[in-house]
Amino acid sequence: MNRTLPEMLHCLNSVGNLLAGNCTDMTVLDRQRARLKWQQEQLQQEEQQQQQDGYFNGSDQLNGIFFNPAQAGQFPGFQGLVGGVSVIGDTTANRPVKPDPSLENGWSELDRFEMSGIGFGSSATGLANGPGFQMTGAISRTSSSPPTVAPLTPEVKSRESFSPEKTSSAAGRESFKKRKADKVNNTKGVQEDDSREKRAKGSAEEGDSKITEQNSPKNNNTNANNRESSADTSKENSKASEVQKPDYIHVRARRGQATDSHSLAERVRREKISERMKYLQDLVPGCNKITGKAGMLDEIINYVQSLQRQVEFLSMKLAAVNPRLDFNIDDLFAKEMFPACAGAGGFQTLGMSAEMSNSPYLQFNPAQQVVSCGGLEMGMNSHDMGLRRTISAPVSIPETFLDTSCYTQIQPPTTWDSELQNLYSTEFNQGRSSIPFSSQPFTGSIEASNLKMEM
Amino acid sequence: MTNSPKGFTLNNADSCRVKFARRFLRSLIEIKTRQTNYNNNLSSSPSSSSEIRRRSERIKLKAYSSMAHAVGPRKAWTRALLLKLHNRAKRHRFRTRKRSSLAMVLKKKRVFRVKNHANFYKPAAERGNYSVLNSDEKTEKLRELVPGGKAMDICSLLEETAHFIKCLAMQVQVMHEIADQLSN
Repeated sequence: MNRTLPEMLHCLNSVGNLLAGNCTDMTVLDRQRARLKWQQEQLQQEEQQQQQDGYFNGSDQLNGIFFNPAQAGQFPGFQGLVGGVSVIGDTTANRPVKPDPSLENGWSELDRFEMSGIGFGSSATGLANGPGFQMTGAISRTSSSPPTVAPLTPEVKSRESFSPEKTSSAAGRESFKKRKADKVNNTKGVQEDDSREKRAKGSAEEGDSKITEQNSPKNNNTNANNRESSADTSKENSKASEVQKPDYIHVRARRGQATDSHSLAERVRREKISERMKYLQDLVPGCNKITGKAGMLDEIINYVQSLQRQVEFLSMKLAAVNPRLDFNIDDLFAKEMFPACAGAGGFQTLGMSAEMSNSPYLQFNPAQQVVSCGGLEMGMNSHDMGLRRTISAPVSIPETFLDTSCYTQIQPPTTWDSELQNLYSTEFNQGRSSIPFSSQPFTGSIEASNLKMEM
Repeated sequence: MTNSPKGFTLNNADSCRVKFARRFLRSLIEIKTRQTNYNNNLSSSPSSSSEIRRRSERIKLKAYSSMAHAVGPRKAWTRALLLKLHNRAKRHRFRTRKRSSLAMVLKKKRVFRVKNHANFYKPAAERGNYSVLNSDEKTEKLRELVPGGKAMDICSLLEETAHFIKCLAMQVQVMHEIADQLSN
């Protein structure tokens, strides 16, 4: 650090010469040049040493000196040094400016330079005072403009680094915070997480300015990152808009969500899947309480398996039934139509309202009897016995009713079955008389879903 | 839901159901006549358990086939089902060395094979879908259940499952009614 002192002082002198008169008399260009020169010298020196650490230590030392006036007092020879160092510390401290979140734009060199003017002004006062501990006050008050330099607004604290990057102040602020974080953690790997923390303005006084300079090679990468992060935040803060149904082109991002194409497509896909799952939930009875894809999938699988089992049992039943001798086309036609009329007849007797509410279950009730009967019997008896039992289903219904799964029902199947059988018999006796073609009750559930489904 | 108890309202579901019923009954008649002929020719007992089992399996296959035909080849699962049935019949016929016009039908159906098995040999994750549901254990089970499910992504699988469930339910209902009818 001692090596830097003479150079600093030299630079200071040059600037001080420029500052001989009023601070405001300096042209912007002059100030800029002097400052740049000073910065470059600073850069060189710091790059020679171990960059951050040495400097930080130096600044710490400086601060230590500042904040321990007792110690400073112990070394009378130090006073001058302290004073000189205090100048440097002052300038260094004053140069960068506190991170002012209100500053959203990049401030020009002019501002920075005026800051340095402030610094010099206060350093002048510090020199006049002598002891370093008075500088602390000055340092702590760097944000407020000293009385000599009136026109300066307190907000002129640009922390942007030196020349080349004109990043947005958000980025600059973030980079600044990153430097501070670097300083605190004393590592170079601290990235944007730290930069996102909102640190108090007042805490960013000392020494951070220098850090911005030395990290110039790093700054390019980090600034790019900062730009991205600020872009993200700006996108996040954009007005919320609903996701349109995509015609493969137009999908808008919702508020607070990622906006890259992959996640958009994924989100569309997820919504499609959830829509289909909801539709399935309506189809499969007894799924209202279940939430979540896993449970729903389980239910769906169980339901499909039960339906397939029912088909198998029914086919077994049909295979076992004895062929009727009057099995001709007329009967065929009648049977073909019977679902419609039988449903109408049977349901009219039972009452439409009850039927409507139970329509999803109805199709399973009779089938379930068969299934449960068959299930009971198949396991226990021989094949023939089982089949005979299944045919005489109505007898064993009360027993098997307890065995029903969740798909079965509210309606007592016995009455419906008997009604149906009555109807069939009457219909067959009559042949094919006027058969109302209402298929409404039977297609209740299926039709409703068909209306939705058929495209 | 249409409220016309007396009118003739044929919509998609109805026509589907009627078609299925008609086909199924015809195949049932065919099987039954075969059974009666068999019984008439032989003097054995009318129904032995193995015969019943065989017949029931045939009936089941016929039920699925008539269902698939009734719906038509506009759904992926029906195409897959028809293909499977035809393959099975072809193998069966080949075993029994019966030449039939199935070859003609199969030539027509070959197109579907290419379409259905485009993605078949790729694992689920590689098909370009990033959904977690794609390679789930339950999803695999569902794929096995639904005909043609192995070649679909989860989105179309769910859609096909919904339609399949509807048709299965309708099939069960009609079959039950027929069974009731016949057992009276």
